Amino acid sequence: MDNRFDVELVSVTKRYGTTLAVDDISLRIPRGTYCCLLGPSGCGKTTTLRMIAGHEAVTEGDILIHGENVSDLPPVKRGTAMMFQSYALFPHMNCLDNVAFSLKMRGVAKKERHAKAREFLELVHMGSYAERLPAQLSGGQQQRIALARALINRPRVLLLDEPLSALDPFLRTKVREELKRLQRELGITFIHVTHSQDEAMALADLMVVMEAGHIRQAAQPREIFERPVSPFIARFIGSHNVLRFDTGPIAVRADRCRLGAAGEGPHVNGQVVAVEYQGAMVRVAVMTEAGDEVSALVPDQAFYRKPAEPGDPATLVWAPEDTHALVES
Amino acid sequence: MAAIRASEKRPWTFYALATLFVAFLLFLYGPMFVIYILSFQGPNGGVTFPMVGVSLTWFHEVFQKEQMANLPVAFVRSVELATVVCILTVVFSVAAGLGFRRRFPGSGVLFYIAVASLVMPSLLVGFGIGLGFQFLGWQTSLFTSALGAQLTWTLPFGLFAMFAVVNRFNRSWEEAATDLGASAWQRLRYVTLPILAPGIFGVAMGAFTLSYDEYARTTLTIGPKNTLPLEIYALISSASSPTLFAIGTLTTAVSFTAIIATLIIVTRMQRRRAALRA
Amino acid sequence: MISDAVTSILPSRLLASGERRTRRGRLPPWMVSWAQVAPMALVLVVLFALPTILFLVVSFYDWDRVGIYPAFILDNYRDLLTTPATWRVYVSSLRFAAIVWAVTLFLGFNIAYFLIFHVRSKITRTVLFLLCAIPFWTSGIIRTIAWIPFLGRNGAFNTMLMMAGITSKPLEFLLFSDFAVIITYVHLFTLLMVGPIANSMAKIDKALLEAAIDAGASRWRVMVDVVIPLSKTGIVLGSILVFTQVMGDYFVVKQMSGGQSASIVSMLSTEIQAMQYPPAAANAMVLVVFVALLVAAMMKVVDVRKELVK
Repeated sequence: MDNRFDVELVSVTKRYGTTLAVDDISLRIPRGTYCCLLGPSGCGKTTTLRMIAGHEAVTEGDILIHGENVSDLPPVKRGTAMMFQSYALFPHMNCLDNVAFSLKMRGVAKKERHAKAREFLELVHMGSYAERLPAQLSGGQQQRIALARALINRPRVLLLDEPLSALDPFLRTKVREELKRLQRELGITFIHVTHSQDEAMALADLMVVMEAGHIRQAAQPREIFERPVSPFIARFIGSHNVLRFDTGPIAVRADRCRLGAAGEGPHVNGQVVAVEYQGAMVRVAVMTEAGDEVSALVPDQAFYRKPAEPGDPATLVWAPEDTHALVES
Repeated sequence: MAAIRASEKRPWTFYALATLFVAFLLFLYGPMFVIYILSFQGPNGGVTFPMVGVSLTWFHEVFQKEQMANLPVAFVRSVELATVVCILTVVFSVAAGLGFRRRFPGSGVLFYIAVASLVMPSLLVGFGIGLGFQFLGWQTSLFTSALGAQLTWTLPFGLFAMFAVVNRFNRSWEEAATDLGASAWQRLRYVTLPILAPGIFGVAMGAFTLSYDEYARTTLTIGPKNTLPLEIYALISSASSPTLFAIGTLTTAVSFTAIIATLIIVTRMQRRRAALRA
Repeated sequence: MISDAVTSILPSRLLASGERRTRRGRLPPWMVSWAQVAPMALVLVVLFALPTILFLVVSFYDWDRVGIYPAFILDNYRDLLTTPATWRVYVSSLRFAAIVWAVTLFLGFNIAYFLIFHVRSKITRTVLFLLCAIPFWTSGIIRTIAWIPFLGRNGAFNTMLMMAGITSKPLEFLLFSDFAVIITYVHLFTLLMVGPIANSMAKIDKALLEAAIDAGASRWRVMVDVVIPLSKTGIVLGSILVFTQVMGDYFVVKQMSGGQSASIVSMLSTEIQAMQYPPAAANAMVLVVFVALLVAAMMKVVDVRKELVK
């Protein structure tokens, strides 16, 4: 049977006692996809990941991997591998033994499993650190070891729980590129949980935005950024102004707004509350008469031709085609 | 080098507390050193100063067969009992410590039973068990009633010590092991126990010492054959000679050797995995 | 393309039924926990809870010089509670407990504070802590009698005092007195206070103290508003341990008071030796209830379970 999907969630629900952590979500992740589960904390994204991994039991619904229902299988039989948020490297084993751990569990002879583990250490460029203990490595290095440990079983799906959150911002961008490269080289599906929309946009082929146990929107990052479905999505994804008109809520990108005058098209009146210089752009925050805070990202040249100060009255205008209607959630 | 920075200067409280600490150490060790010295009292000396010569008379006395109490035998018995108590305490309290990581029906009741067992006046535990044995017509003995009485004391201790150990244990280590294909047993053997090892070692040490020195719980449950603390107690009531001090010096020496050995083992363990401390 | 695949209606093959079948091969977590705590639970129930219930039952039995007889009489309790000696012993034990508690709390808190906040090197701290702990590995009996040659009439302390010219005659009150009892208790039990308090203090983020000082708090205010509230668990645990140890003592009072004071347990042990089990059991029950109330009152201050388990 042809399976176009690596992972399928079918009406998956997770309840802890009476609290609903994940509410009846369905999702299909095509082959070889970099999928990011994105959402504010407590939205159920980590629970979803852990259910796919098999560390949480599914209350209702099914999880399929490569077309096979794995809902009742233990983690190791699912063909998934997980990279934990704090990496969960075994503190009492050196890097080589950490990477070789799963082979040891399967009874692979020492020589063979060490050779294999070295191969994977090379894959993540950590070959020279084989004898080190995890505590003797930096955060980025620990992460590579965790990656090698997860990949050694040749998983069909790699699950990453906030893999970049423990790294400094500088390193984060670098590791991000590396994850993407690795995913492309290995051609397997990565499911990556994050709360950072930048991270998700930079990495994802498929971006899944969750809130309160529901999937609010799942699409390519560009699709979500250009056509957010609800005020929540528009706000969460950032760089959008959400405005309420009689016809319903609309979103308009901040970089498509400028300071102008009424009569130039769709607009909203208010007062400048803050001006932030961001280099190429200047962000002008405006409090509307309705009490919404909106902002315009204006190119610096345009701004300094006609600067504004906090307290000045301002009118935010944009082109009619930039108005994007939202569905009230 | 530059002068000491202002922030490096110690506040007056440091000196006050340091003085208190030193005074406390003197208080702690002073009397002990007095008995160590007096245990080398000459053959004609008494239980107080001055020293009348120096001799090993009183140490010989300890090992005399005609002594009312047979200390070497009691010592061996104490060590045997302490070893068994230690093993059972480690196994039971490690298991229970892991079990208490989640709430389960009855966890509250069991917790408070453990607290009660720990704070119960020791002699009363022995009294209850002794009474129970009498009702059932059983003879109290070293490895039945006495062992049980000591466990009611070492197990809660072990459990509470394990709470501290388990709290520092990161659950995702176990999940990672499961993820990587370890069976429940392999996970315990290769991940959980090795990571918890230093803490478990502490529990073992504590349980052994508590048992080895235990007196009040054991006295009503021991049956005919005494452990070392009971023998010593019998000696105190019957004799007052520097022999007592010699026993004190000897038991301290034994404890000390045990501590040093333990420390060496622990340091080795920790060096092998500086990881856990970082 | 991808968005088409997402959240589409799924083939009927993958029906997710509302009724969930039981997950194969997985015990519910609470059952695993039960299996793990079972051995300990069994020991504590059989060897602690049942015997306690047993002497509760026996405390209502009738007795005479020959034996004990199943009955339900309150005489044992009445006799016990109407004897002035009982009250005297309880008052005296409580007094000891209160004094020893105050002294060990003072010492324990300050020593713990010194070790945690003043000692900067980790190695030094470990060594100093070990220095406090090592005597604990010596038998309590030995540590008790160690005070005899120290405090006695011709003891080391008196000799030192006289040599230093502070006193001309040996002090008589040192040994076989309440003073000797208290000093021995403090010697035996201070570590029980230091340990838990130091444990609590070690968990305090040092930045909190700095934040308090930045906010203009004096050393004293930092102590009262930050350090003490955050070491409460340790203080309560240490207090429980010291209090119950003193209340349950059997040996120290007997050995060190020179017969001037008695402890509740030594009174009880006399009855046990005389095989007067029902009155001994009644006595034990009263003590158990008393200790339980004290401990419960102290545990009201802090949810010890919450602090310990998570």
